[in-house]
Amino acid sequence: MDKLVAQYSRPPHQNEMYSEQEQQDLTASVPPLSLKFSLPPVDNHSAFLRAMTDDHSNPSCPIKLAHGTTTLAFRFQGGIIVCTDSRATAGNWIASQTVKKVIPVSRLSRGEDKKSDKPTPGLLGTMAGGAADCQYWLRYLSQQCTLHEIRHKRRITVAAASKILANLTYAYKGYGLSMGTMLAGMTPQEGPALYYIDSDGTRLPGNLFCVGSGQTFAYGVLDAEYKYDLTEEEALNLGRRAILAAMHRDAYSGGFINLYHVKEEGWVHHGFDDMNPIFWKTKLEKGEFSNVTSAL
Amino acid sequence: MPGFDFSNYNRNAALHARGVPLPKATSTGTTIVGCIYDKGVVIAADTRATSGPIVADKNCEKLHYIAPKIWCAGAGTAADTEFTTALISSNVELHSLSTGRDPRVITCMTMLKQHLFRYQGHIGAYLVVAGVDPTGTGLYTVHAHGSTDKLPYVTMGSGSLAAMSVFESTWQPDLDRQGAIDICAEAIKAGIFNDLGSGSNVDVCVIEKDQPTQLLRNYMKPNDRPQKERNYRFQRGTTAYLDQRVISKEDMKKYVTIETLSGDDNLAAGDNMEVDS
Amino acid sequence: MTSLIGQSENIGYSFSEPTSANVKQHSFYPYTDNGGSTLGITGSDFAILAGDTRSTSGYNINSRMVPKVFKIGGDDETGDGAQILLSVVGFAADGNALKEKLDTVVKMYKYQHGKPMSVSACAQRLSTILYEKRFFPYYVHAILAGLDEEGVGALYSYDPVGSYEREQCRAAGAASSLIMPFLDNQVNFKNQYVPGSGEGHALEPVKAEPLPKETVKALVRDAFTSAVERHIEVGDGLQLMIITREGIEEIYHPLKKD
Repeated sequence: MDKLVAQYSRPPHQNEMYSEQEQQDLTASVPPLSLKFSLPPVDNHSAFLRAMTDDHSNPSCPIKLAHGTTTLAFRFQGGIIVCTDSRATAGNWIASQTVKKVIPVSRLSRGEDKKSDKPTPGLLGTMAGGAADCQYWLRYLSQQCTLHEIRHKRRITVAAASKILANLTYAYKGYGLSMGTMLAGMTPQEGPALYYIDSDGTRLPGNLFCVGSGQTFAYGVLDAEYKYDLTEEEALNLGRRAILAAMHRDAYSGGFINLYHVKEEGWVHHGFDDMNPIFWKTKLEKGEFSNVTSAL
Repeated sequence: MPGFDFSNYNRNAALHARGVPLPKATSTGTTIVGCIYDKGVVIAADTRATSGPIVADKNCEKLHYIAPKIWCAGAGTAADTEFTTALISSNVELHSLSTGRDPRVITCMTMLKQHLFRYQGHIGAYLVVAGVDPTGTGLYTVHAHGSTDKLPYVTMGSGSLAAMSVFESTWQPDLDRQGAIDICAEAIKAGIFNDLGSGSNVDVCVIEKDQPTQLLRNYMKPNDRPQKERNYRFQRGTTAYLDQRVISKEDMKKYVTIETLSGDDNLAAGDNMEVDS
Repeated sequence: MTSLIGQSENIGYSFSEPTSANVKQHSFYPYTDNGGSTLGITGSDFAILAGDTRSTSGYNINSRMVPKVFKIGGDDETGDGAQILLSVVGFAADGNALKEKLDTVVKMYKYQHGKPMSVSACAQRLSTILYEKRFFPYYVHAILAGLDEEGVGALYSYDPVGSYEREQCRAAGAASSLIMPFLDNQVNFKNQYVPGSGEGHALEPVKAEPLPKETVKALVRDAFTSAVERHIEVGDGLQLMIITREGIEEIYHPLKKD
């Protein structure tokens, strides 16, 4: 009898502590990056998530996630230009004007821009759609790229890195992730390489992409002026001008212009500049945006 | 044609069905109370008007005039209480003129309930009607759908439960004038501090036979704003501008006539406005 | 024997047949908005996190003294020895769960590595903790504060699923849309220009510099007394935590209770 009681009863506080597995999870020096997501106790968890977080179909949803963007990247003879705005919106609310939407994906730089004129080796990823999704999965990609580098003693190709991300988003298809990202990099095997990956599982190589709510405005400028033989100076200015057009016309884009150039030795940062003075300079000195007038 | 204009009703219903949110009406998420005493009746209200979670007016008036000895406290949609009481006030006056007698509280209450019932609750006015007439003192509540109650002490609005707890615990049948004012003010304060829809100050109205009606505006001010710690005055020239145009008084005279008042500072408009010093 | 069941089947009442509609699940809504607001500002050698102490649901006040700012990684209930602050606003139960989890993580780190967790590491860990519930989010806006490796005030703000950014100042919660524009103007001097520095487009913007501690404290108190005036879910008390090299100072200020 005592044995039975012992078998079916337990001390009152047995479950108050963290289990061994939980303790391990909490102390693991590398946090579990994927495949351990908790799901709500309902039949259709993606419908639940949509009801709670999709401010497009339900403007009064309780949890508003950071969204909205214009990003662009294009290949030219001197490498790849990557340029973004810096605004994050949650519904109609501007959550931030200082988001870094270009995320370095490499071992040497963990997302922090260290002041340096020398090119930093590695890939660049851009961020459009859910801010958390992009930050988290590009961090995951960074980890995978570093492991690749350690295992194979050479840097990962852009094709391989983009495939890791595309396979990942395809595995989570239907769960409600939201991301449209571009991967840019230069490797000895590929030369300058540019890929577009999104949360549907799409993966496309290409010369020129614009992603986000302001993409059409950026395409308008880019398609008019783009050619492969652009000089470095021209290419940088074109990237800046295309983002400026999108920031001007798209309410969900704005803030600062973040400009990068990917070269053979790595990427170079060309500034994080307030759009406002750049806009007025463009208008007053070049006579563009003549529809805007300050006259009373 | 007098009355409501329904010309945009179908359009707005269709827009709403497509997910366009309806405009938010300022609602007086409110505490209002009333209480009779030996010689008359007291009604009281808080002074907060809200629009969702935002305070739209910190010191609004929720006690409405109907007749010299009939007053009304309003909760619900601010515009509805305002216009309904104004309409009934006019009708009560016409009625009293044609009958040649002082208006009665029960007449006013009946007119209100018939008006509100006709609109089936779409006019969101929740009222406490109180007054003194030749038949004695009257105190009623009128709900938006048209139902009414007649009680010695009443509360309405989002803070009605907090206020009623004060009446239920401390009300006595033989209150005098000051006793009735005190219990009403205390009930409103319970609403102000425990109901988020109510706040700021206490307004009281005392109606008594053979005495002029007293509206005690801001009878209590338990929520004065503390002094700001910093000065937020900007230096002239801080704000950037794209272009400027100066319109002189001479130019203005083309469109309006200008009269200059004497230099008395007290005459300046907006003198009572809240400004940083 | 006559079967009653068989007969009833022939009658053909609509309710005698199984409905064709799927079994409906009762709508699952596990969140409550407990109102309140938080705010954080950094300086050259300190960081301030503040929050009101009211907890609401609907038009009711649950409590007038529920803290929203917590010490993370301290020794015991007192939180002594903590070097990181966390504020959470939104759904209090989720906020509490998040605080407990981060606190455990930071403590475990200290016991295993024999040194306290850096703020930047803690910031990134908090991001992954939030993202682990990407498909069943914590309904919270979190702000993390501390001092970085150089001893400069550090502030990190988060969205509910873990996107984060280091900033100079941030307001979150019910009155964030009232407080944040004030902070943009008074901390980062947005839309302020140096008078007489130029004509038209040559006008120079006022440069943002780290503010002294006393100024920031006054700004925080003014932000909250103003938010209390215009937002019904903010009030009762203001809890201020200031982290410097000397440690964490905690200040409480009463706010209006209506």
